[in-house]
Amino acid sequence: MAEILFSSWGGEVVDNRDKEGQDLEPVNSVELPEYFRQDEAVKALMGWYGLVIRDPETDVVDLSRVYMKEIQEKSCGKCFLCRIGTRVMAETLERICQGQGKPQDLEVLGRLAESIQESSKCNIGQSGPVPILHALEHFAEKFEAAINDKKAVPAGSYHSKLTAPCMDACPIHLDIPTYVECIKEGRFQDSLDVIREKLPLPGVVGRVCVRPCEEHCRRMNLDAPISIKFLKRFVADYELGKGKEPEFEIEPSEKTGKVAIVGAGPSGVTCAYHLARKGHDVTVYERFDEPGGMSAMGIPDYRLPRPILREEVDRIERMGVKFNYETVVGKDIKLSQLEADNDAVFIAIGAHLGTTMGVEGEEENYDGYISGVQYLLDINQGRDPYPAGKKVVVVGGGNVAIDCVRCSFRVDKPDVNLVYRRTKNEMPADHVEIHDAEEEKVNFHYLTHPVKIIAENGKVVGLECVRMELGEADESGRRRPVAVEGSEFVIDCDIVVPAIGQTMDLSLLEGREDVKTTRWKTIVVDELTKQSDEPKIFSGGDCETGPGALITACAGGRTAAFSIDKMINGRSLEYSEDDYFDKFFKKVKVYDQSEDIGFLGGRERKELEMLDPDTRKFTNDEVEQGFSIQDAMAEADRCLRCYRVATVKV
Amino acid sequence: MVTLTIDGKEVTVPQGTTILEAAKSVDIRIPTLCYHERLNPIGSCRMCVVEIDGFGHPMAACTTPVEDGIEVTTNSDRLTRIRQDSLKLILVNHPLDCPICDKGGECLLQDLVYEHGIDKVEYTAAKVDRDSLYATPLIRYWPDRCIMCLRCVTACQEIKGIGAISIEGDGYGAQVVAVDPEICQSCGECLQVCPTGALTADLSRYRGRTWLIDRVPTTCTYCGCGCQLELNVQNNQVIAVTTKDGVGVNQGSLCVKGRFGYEFINSDDRLKTPMIKQNGEFQEASWDEALSLVAEKFSAIKAEHGGGAIGGLTSARCSNEENYLFQKFMRAAIGTNNVDHCARL
Ligand SMILES: Cc1cc2nc3c(=O)[nH]c(=O)nc-3n(C[C@H](O)[C@H](O)[C@H](O)COP(=O)(O)OP(=O)(O)OC[C@H]3O[C@@H](n4cnc5c(N)ncnc54)[C@H](O)[C@@H]3O)c2cc1C
Ligand code: SF4
Ligand code: SF4
Ligand code: SF4
Ligand code: SF4
Ligand code: FES
Repeated sequence: MAEILFSSWGGEVVDNRDKEGQDLEPVNSVELPEYFRQDEAVKALMGWYGLVIRDPETDVVDLSRVYMKEIQEKSCGKCFLCRIGTRVMAETLERICQGQGKPQDLEVLGRLAESIQESSKCNIGQSGPVPILHALEHFAEKFEAAINDKKAVPAGSYHSKLTAPCMDACPIHLDIPTYVECIKEGRFQDSLDVIREKLPLPGVVGRVCVRPCEEHCRRMNLDAPISIKFLKRFVADYELGKGKEPEFEIEPSEKTGKVAIVGAGPSGVTCAYHLARKGHDVTVYERFDEPGGMSAMGIPDYRLPRPILREEVDRIERMGVKFNYETVVGKDIKLSQLEADNDAVFIAIGAHLGTTMGVEGEEENYDGYISGVQYLLDINQGRDPYPAGKKVVVVGGGNVAIDCVRCSFRVDKPDVNLVYRRTKNEMPADHVEIHDAEEEKVNFHYLTHPVKIIAENGKVVGLECVRMELGEADESGRRRPVAVEGSEFVIDCDIVVPAIGQTMDLSLLEGREDVKTTRWKTIVVDELTKQSDEPKIFSGGDCETGPGALITACAGGRTAAFSIDKMINGRSLEYSEDDYFDKFFKKVKVYDQSEDIGFLGGRERKELEMLDPDTRKFTNDEVEQGFSIQDAMAEADRCLRCYRVATVKV
Repeated sequence: MVTLTIDGKEVTVPQGTTILEAAKSVDIRIPTLCYHERLNPIGSCRMCVVEIDGFGHPMAACTTPVEDGIEVTTNSDRLTRIRQDSLKLILVNHPLDCPICDKGGECLLQDLVYEHGIDKVEYTAAKVDRDSLYATPLIRYWPDRCIMCLRCVTACQEIKGIGAISIEGDGYGAQVVAVDPEICQSCGECLQVCPTGALTADLSRYRGRTWLIDRVPTTCTYCGCGCQLELNVQNNQVIAVTTKDGVGVNQGSLCVKGRFGYEFINSDDRLKTPMIKQNGEFQEASWDEALSLVAEKFSAIKAEHGGGAIGGLTSARCSNEENYLFQKFMRAAIGTNNVDHCARL
């Protein structure tokens, strides 16, 4: 990588201006990508954490001007110092760059930068002047020269973007700071509007999202993350409680077309919503008799009541999207037919086949051996998957496994076990879910691995397992479990549920070599446009990424909708500036877990009330009760509004 | 309870108290501008910044809840610089038109600028042109004077639950805008909380100086709520109505009638004596004449048709005592039980 000339990122000052060869110091605090677009080398970066310069030709004064202008435009105007102060700074820098600087300008810039940074209400103002202070400190001579020369500074070319740690982590990049702030100010409908700009399922996602945003919430550095997920649920519930019908703005694109969507899961539904908002004629084909995909058939009702999901999808139907239920694409209607009848097809069929454990007896189809997905599907459709069985062993450590065990009580299985080959620490399932399952008295068998299903007369009677211990770390950093020889034992049971993963049923692509798939059976599309090698075919959600999370599936659907709209309007599917920034921020991290914010913290995160474990484990009623208005507003008030701007010189 | 020290003074307050409230409880004054007791803290002005030992960043006292054991400093060179900068930045845009401002003399901005000795402003930026349209014609919005403290927006949303005004635009160009004038009730809550002369009562414009006004406390006569208000009197003319925050059932709020419906007091059309119609024309009369006439007529009706033929309707604008006397009079003197009250209809 081309070396860095100067960096003050995150307070680590590396100054290589007068150094050469051996003496060049490395920069540890940030990895500056070499390229922004393929043909645009990154010359410098100015952002919330400082200043990084690679290209010696970079004009720091001009970079400061552009960055400060961006900060001023992003200032919300809700506090004095940032609203006016950044404007004074921006105008001053503009003047200097026009060759009209005055000697006192540098003092004004320095003093204001300090006051704004120290006392602004949110992170735009708190972080905005930081790199300017660094620039004034380390490049004072450049500013002085610009003022004394009285000549216009040539303007370079730049890309700028506003982001926030939570927003960057959210796969669909919801504008979290704004929707949370609206709640704090009691403007609940406005908050929903902000969410719906991107996501049509706030009630669903507000209940079951895996919340990567909260893992990247900067408030965590002070005390605990903002309850971003449940605040979303709060506004959705508020509207529902008021019986309000949302008004979706439909702004038809210049050209509108016909689009078929395969699968009414979160990905398909989100794609349909965005296409409908652009005036396209959308038809969704769905195998089951109801929408929601895995969020209806997999996620149990006690976590996500079905009426919430139905209502949110009904609203999309009322926007004019047609839903054809109980129609299997590939069987009832061919993919080629959809292609012929439509301008584009979006495939979002999810990952519905259970993966096998590879243990003895699995191929025998014993009574009582049921894949996790099937097990949940039966329960969600109101059936007991195997009424004769009472003792259940679920194998796996993910969210699906946890859903299987917690659901078991609710279909009257009194003895419920979970077998996982590593320890609780390595379990990928949500910790809250694990905790809830513990409270409901699931028997957890950690460091245990199945080896054989034991059956009598074609019926499961037990699962032979072996004890494990943790060995060396593998490439994912988790320690690899190894079997302890001679430690085999049998768990008596009459139901065995493997919940170790799902894979895709790609039968609708039979005979379609033009649509590529991977060896993990995912459909190959461009990561940022969701277009496959066959231009009319797009794909997103679990069938593109492999079994994942709801919000990722929604994000895929949204992206595909934008691509399809572009294609119908004859525009090329070039990556946008936002797409390139997405890549950029994979390297230049927006959230820093070790940042010392310097604020007084200690404000407790509001938690939801839950039904008591002994009551809830036998009912399908929703376990978590939503926020009260007061709690929601108090929780929203904890948000630090960590907006920040990056300006990249190319 | 939580114990902390503020400027070396030990303070014990309930959990959830803000640093500002804790300071107030021991008579330590922290300058504030956007903070208003009836509103949730807004945090826009940053005048109330304080330092907390061990934490690098100054914190706004009005929005920060106390923590056990913290040591708070309310004055330092750094804090003074921030407060001065906050005020100076306001003055980049705020005109110094105090001589013709109806708020002059009781403007919080004026007081703070004075207190912080701002004698020059070294910051400059192009002035913004903002709209002066407001949600109601009864209130005049002076956009140049508006400091964007957001008290008005917050009051309309929080106290009234209306939300007729909001903030629009970004950065320097952000402004208070009547987003939904249709729903404005012209209650003047926004006017009441505005710390500057950015919102003024249009009826009162240029009619008196704050330091020459007598504020006469009284009870609003429009309805039975009994809101407390002050008639602003100069030269024996009522020129405005104001309220005191936290006083009476209304705590400082009024409705459109209470706040703006006072012009009848000095109106030329106002009836000041009883009138008796003679030959189709109303003529001024004395109280004795008028009461005698009424008594005569009532007696005649009662004699001919009985007391039950007469009914009485009293008013929410009367006091309890007056209403009591009225029904007593109807029953005992007129001899009827047909008594009612407008508030019951
Ligand atoms: C038990 C379980 C619990 C989960 N819990 C969570 C959670 O708490 N939080 C979270 O974020 N994620 C969770 N997930 C993951 C989440 O549900 C999925 O990532 C998400 O539903 C994927 O959406 P999708 O639209 O890509 O696919 P799906 O939701 O799977 O939807 C695909 C749809 O396509 C239909 N379909 C398939 N083939 C055809 C065909 N040939 N013709 C017509 N229709 C077809 C299917 O019937 C289905 O309705 C969970 C998953 C499971 C299985
Ligand atoms: S963006 Fe933040 S710092 Fe800037 S005016 Fe708004 S609240 Fe203040
Ligand atoms: S504090 Fe608010 S803005 Fe900051 S990361 Fe958390 S949710 Fe996002
Ligand atoms: S007069 Fe009342 S309703 Fe109208 S904007 Fe002001 S506070 Fe809101
Ligand atoms: S009108 Fe008054 S209360 Fe409203 S923001 Fe402006 S100065 Fe503040
Ligand atoms: S009084 Fe605290 S920020 Fe204005």
